[in-house]
Amino acid sequence: MNTPFFGRLLNILDYALSSLRRNLGKNCTVFILFTLVIFLFASFQLMTGGLTELAQKVLVTAPDITVQQMSAGRQVAIAADAKEKLTGIFGVSKVKERIWGYYFDESNGANYTVIGISLPAGDDAGGSWLGLEEGRLPRPDERGKVVVSRDIRDKLGLGSRRHFSLFRPDLSLASFETVGTFSGTLDILTADVILMSLDDARDLFAIVPGFVTDLLVDAGNPLEVETIAGKINDLLSGVRVITRNRILKTYTVVFGWRSGLGGICLLTALVAFAIFAWDRASGLSREEVREVGILRVLGWQTNDIILLRFFESAVIALLAFFTGYLLAWIHVAGFDGTFLRPILLGWSVLRPSFTFVPQFAFSDMLLIFSISVFPYLCATAVPAWRAAVVRADSVI
Amino acid sequence: MLITLESVDKIYNSGAINEVAALREIDLTVAEGEMVCLQGPSGSGKTTLLSVIGCIFSPTSGRATIGGRRISRLPDHFLTRYRRELIGFIFQNYNMLGHLSVLENITLPLLPLGISPGRREKMADALLDKLAIGHRKHFIADQLSGGELQRAAIARALINNPPIIVADEPTAHLDGKLALEIIDLLAEQKADGRTLILSSHDPAVSGHPRVDRVVALRDGRISSQVSAG
Amino acid sequence: MRPSTVLMLVLSVYVMLYSGLILVVGHKNSGLAAHVPIMQEAVARFGLTDLALSTEARYTRHPAVSDPVAVTMDHPGAIDHFPSTLFWAPPQ
Repeated sequence: MNTPFFGRLLNILDYALSSLRRNLGKNCTVFILFTLVIFLFASFQLMTGGLTELAQKVLVTAPDITVQQMSAGRQVAIAADAKEKLTGIFGVSKVKERIWGYYFDESNGANYTVIGISLPAGDDAGGSWLGLEEGRLPRPDERGKVVVSRDIRDKLGLGSRRHFSLFRPDLSLASFETVGTFSGTLDILTADVILMSLDDARDLFAIVPGFVTDLLVDAGNPLEVETIAGKINDLLSGVRVITRNRILKTYTVVFGWRSGLGGICLLTALVAFAIFAWDRASGLSREEVREVGILRVLGWQTNDIILLRFFESAVIALLAFFTGYLLAWIHVAGFDGTFLRPILLGWSVLRPSFTFVPQFAFSDMLLIFSISVFPYLCATAVPAWRAAVVRADSVI
Repeated sequence: MLITLESVDKIYNSGAINEVAALREIDLTVAEGEMVCLQGPSGSGKTTLLSVIGCIFSPTSGRATIGGRRISRLPDHFLTRYRRELIGFIFQNYNMLGHLSVLENITLPLLPLGISPGRREKMADALLDKLAIGHRKHFIADQLSGGELQRAAIARALINNPPIIVADEPTAHLDGKLALEIIDLLAEQKADGRTLILSSHDPAVSGHPRVDRVVALRDGRISSQVSAG
Repeated sequence: MRPSTVLMLVLSVYVMLYSGLILVVGHKNSGLAAHVPIMQEAVARFGLTDLALSTEARYTRHPAVSDPVAVTMDHPGAIDHFPSTLFWAPPQ
């Protein structure tokens, strides 16, 4: 690398670095702020990206079609006898009834998701399924048997006990016995879930016999799902038909950083930083004018000065980017996103423990780079040009 | 390198209410290896004339050449290149960057040329020893005395081995003995075939035995040219 | 040592750190990959449709299957008031 071209680049880079070192306080401030902005942005992107990736992987086995009854724009119970109509559609291999709802525990402020589903005979796991850390699933003929998560056991204060009660709408108590506990592996799916039989769920929520909250439809041929969904729409009036594709699509858009208010706040932080950078870079001091004038007199071209100023900005921007992005990865992969988790989990009382790590993708890195480093360099470009056009005769 | 100026004018703020004609109808020829001293009161146009010859800016009208190459009405890029290749400029207030070391100041003109740090230091060492300030190489410029600063400025002007030295009041801030030392140092450059143009109020400078010609300026015009000897 | 050389060394350190990061993440992901089939089985068995991320409201707990008016059901002009939805897009 001894050619004059690279020699010139290295020499001017040396001068730029020395110049940065001379104004260490000011440049450190810019570096720290920039690193922080990138850290926040990247952490958010990694966390939501990780969740989206996880959802895409895990929900591929979600029901092909979920059928809900709507009335006045809201979901209401659906008649279970619609099951017969759906079974009659060509291409439908299985229809399952399900009751799911929310139980608000006033004693601890937790919202439980109650899922009532009839498991096939023999499908009680028998303690061999890795999805349970202990016990088994409820048998189809059993009443009052449930599976809960470790977190729910703790919230209910069960300790070594297995029995607890929940209130029905008429304030009478429904008693349950835990026969199994979900493994921590499933926490991201079942942290708030109480799994019980269909009849138990109907009893708990006082749902009218013959009604369920939704019907789960399996299509024999995945390629037929959309067609079958269309037929269901035509067959049953006022229903909402949700395909698996739509469920998966929800999770690609739900964490849209361009859509959420938080994303807008982060973008605002970025814009504010760019304005700050502009402000720091512009307004040449007398010393700076003199320095550039002397360099010009000594034979430095305008391009050389522009390159010098570019290097000064680029070094800070690049180092801040690499540092912020690396810290974001350590934050998300090493510490489970400790700072942003409270926001993502919000006011939830039940807080699943999850370790999700997105795949390392250069495209993600490039995205953050293009919305952080690039605007910063643009914000410092005009001040750099203004410095470069200082005339040589300004020092005469 | 022959320097010629023909009917050179320099007007600042042309057409504006504060228009100033700093040079008028300047005809001047400086032969290669000649040492010319510009004399005249403040505002006579000495610094402006040196700036035109030193390729710092172009004249408003007229023709100026160095070694047969036209330097008048050139775009800034070419003017800067000629300045870097042909001219070593010395200022009355030194114009050193106080936060840089002597070595760093001297080698500033070499950075855009892509010369490596090792080679730059070798080139600087030769000059620093010749000018007897090698022992101050790593000192910050702010720590130097006036005489040392002007020696360093001379070293900086010579680092690119230019054929022409332009010095604007090089002894203005120096006492008699030091001033004479500096002029002696500059005059030594004639032996290397360099052309020197300097300006000074000081009669000791214009009367120096090595000065070949004294050009007097008044109100932007050449009022007289006297050859020495 | 020239400043640009120091910068190159610093950048080399970053390259090493990022290489280490990619290795660690890859290792962690392959560890987590073993859990995915279990999760998929749970989803299939119980007909799950959503991640149990935020249990503040039903449309934060089940965004995939909540009805579109769940967000504004209290009032047509009601805005989100749950922290977790700071980063969530409105229902499509």
